[in-house]
Amino acid sequence: MVKINFRAVEQRFYGRQIFGPLDCTLSGGRIMAVTGKNGSGKSTFLKLAGHLLPPSQGKITVVSDGRELRGEELRRHLAMVTPEMRFYDRLTARENMDFLLGMRGITLDNAVYGELLGRVGLDEQAVCHSYAGDFSTGMKQRLKMAVLLAARADIWLLDEPGANLDEAGRQMTAREVRAAADKGVLVVLATNEPGEEALADERIALAGH
Amino acid sequence: MGAVLGGLTLIIAGLVFFVVPPAEGLGDYVRIAFFHIPVAWVAVIAFFISAWQGARYLRSGDMLADAKSAAASQLGFIFVILATVSGAIFSKLTWGAYWNWDPRQTTIFVLLLIYGAYLTLRAAMPAGVKRAKTAAVYALFSFLTVPFLVFIIPRMYFSLHPSPVINGSGLAMDSVMLAVLLAALMDMTGIFYWLYKKQVMRIMQEER
Amino acid sequence: MNVSLWQGIKRMFCKEFVLGLRFKAAWAAMFMFALTTLACVSLALQGGQMEPRLAAALLWVIVFFASMAGADRGFADEDTAGTLLILKLYGGAQPVLLGKMLYSFFLLLVLAVFIVLLFLVLIGVEPVFWGVFILTLVFGVAGIAAAGTLLAALATGARVKNGLFSVLMLPVILPVFLPAVYLTAGALGGSDTALNYLGGMALYDGLLIVGASVLFDYLWYED
Repeated sequence: MVKINFRAVEQRFYGRQIFGPLDCTLSGGRIMAVTGKNGSGKSTFLKLAGHLLPPSQGKITVVSDGRELRGEELRRHLAMVTPEMRFYDRLTARENMDFLLGMRGITLDNAVYGELLGRVGLDEQAVCHSYAGDFSTGMKQRLKMAVLLAARADIWLLDEPGANLDEAGRQMTAREVRAAADKGVLVVLATNEPGEEALADERIALAGH
Repeated sequence: MGAVLGGLTLIIAGLVFFVVPPAEGLGDYVRIAFFHIPVAWVAVIAFFISAWQGARYLRSGDMLADAKSAAASQLGFIFVILATVSGAIFSKLTWGAYWNWDPRQTTIFVLLLIYGAYLTLRAAMPAGVKRAKTAAVYALFSFLTVPFLVFIIPRMYFSLHPSPVINGSGLAMDSVMLAVLLAALMDMTGIFYWLYKKQVMRIMQEER
Repeated sequence: MNVSLWQGIKRMFCKEFVLGLRFKAAWAAMFMFALTTLACVSLALQGGQMEPRLAAALLWVIVFFASMAGADRGFADEDTAGTLLILKLYGGAQPVLLGKMLYSFFLLLVLAVFIVLLFLVLIGVEPVFWGVFILTLVFGVAGIAAAGTLLAALATGARVKNGLFSVLMLPVILPVFLPAVYLTAGALGGSDTALNYLGGMALYDGLLIVGASVLFDYLWYED
C-alpha cells in the first residue's frame, strides 16, 4: 500500500507564496480531492506529490510497503492526467501509447487495446490511423485516461480529469477512479467540479495567498 | 580580515617594486608576474571550488552549496579576466604580441569561456532549486575538460611555441623572488577567500 | 547490457526517427544551413588553393556550427511541443538520454557525411589518409552528440534560449574540436599525424557519455 506524506511543505514561485506550510497524509485506496480557487496551487500540489517538482521548503515522502520510493522507482508508480500533458502530435494515438507504455516496459496486444479503448470510449479506427494532433480536446482527454489505465500505476495524479469531456465521459472518469481506488490505488484529484469532489473520501482545501 | 589583507598587500607591493631585482632578459617587466601568477592561480582554484560545491549541492540539495558554487564562479570570472589581461600585457612587453595561443593562454581562455557560459546559464534562469541543479550539472560537466587542459593542450601546442618563460626552468628565480612570489600567492588566495565569504553571504541573502 | 535498458534506448531512437521523418522541416533546415555555409565559404575562396590546416579548420567550423542547429533538437523540440512532462513521466532517465544521444549521433553523422562530400568537391581537397579522416569525423560527431544531448536538456530550463546552447557547448566541445582540426589537417596534408590524438578523442567521448549519463539523473528526477 502506498502513502504520501507532506511535512511542513511550502511552495513559492519567484518569491510569491503559493501555499503552505502544509502537513497531510495521502493513502492508497482513498481518493483525496484538492480544491481551491485558480492560482491556489492545486496543480502544483499534484506535482509535489509525485516528486515532479521539488518543494521550496519541507519534505514529501512516498512510501510503499514500508519502503521509501525515490527517483526512477517512484516514477514507475506514477500515472497522471493533466491539461499540461501533451501527446506527440505527429504520432498516431496508437503509436503514442505504444511508445509511452513501452518505455515502462508494458506491451499491449490487440485484444487488450480493444478492451481499453472501449472502456474510455475511443474509436479504434481513429486511434490507429489519425495523428494525436488531429484529435479533439475531448478525445485527447480520453486518450490520457487510456494511457493512465494501461500504465498499471498505483499513484494517480488527476488534474481536472473531467475537463472537456461530455456527460458520458465524466461518468466514465468517475467510474474508473472509483474502481481504481477500490483496488488500492492512491488517487489525488485536483478539481473544482462539485461532481468530482463528491467522489472523494477526503478533501484538502488550499486557501491561496 | 580586510585590514590585515590590505596591509599585507601593501607590503608585498612594496617588496615587488623596491626589493625584487629586475630579472635577466625580462627587466622590470618581471614585476607583472607577481600579480599575474597569483591571479591565475586563484582563477584555477575557484574553478575547482565551483565544481566541488556543485557536486555537494547535487548530493545534499543544500542551497548554501549552490551559493558557494555561484560565488566561486563569479569571482573566478573576474580573476580569470585579470589573469588574461595581465598575461596579455606581459606577453606584449616580452614577446611582442598580446596573444599567441601558448598552452597556458589556451587553458586560461577555455577557463574564461567556461566561467562565462556558467554565469550566462545562471542569468538565464529564475532563482531557485532548478537553477541550482542546472548550474551544478554544468559546473561538473565542464569540469570534464580538465584532463584535456592539463594533459593534451600542452602537448598539442608545444611544438609551435617555446616553453613558457616562467615555469621554473626558463627563468632562474633567486630566493628573494621566490619568497615574494609565495607571499603574493598567499595574499591573493586570502583576498579571494575574503571576497568569497562576503559573496556567499550576499547571494544567500538575496535569495531569501 | 541490461536488456530493458537496450529496449528503452531502441524505442526512444525509433520514436525520434519516426518523428524526424514526419517532420521534414527540421532536417531540411539543417541541411540547407550546411549547404549555405559551404557555398559561402567556397564562393569566398573562388577556387583558390588551400593549406591543409586551413581547410581542416574551415571544415570543422562548418561541421560544428551546422550541428549546433541540430544537436539540441532532442530536447528543444520536446520542450516547444510541450511533451517533456509526459516523457518525464513514462521514460526513465537513461533510456531517454541514451536514445536521444544515439539519434543525435546518427543525425549528425548523416549531416557530416553530406558536408564532407560537398566540401571535398567544392574546395578541391582530398584526404591522403582516409582511415584517419573518417575516424576523426566519427569521433568528433560522437563528442558533439554526447555533449549536445546533455546540454540541450540543461538549456530547456532557461528563459533566454537564443544562443545559449552554443555558448554552453563551445568550451565543453573544444577538447574534441582542436584535436579534430589537427588530425584532419594531417589526414588532408599527408603529414604524419599523432595517432594518439585519436585515442584521446575516443577517451574524451567516453568521458562525455559517462559524465552525461551520471549527471542526467539529477536533471530528470527531482529528488
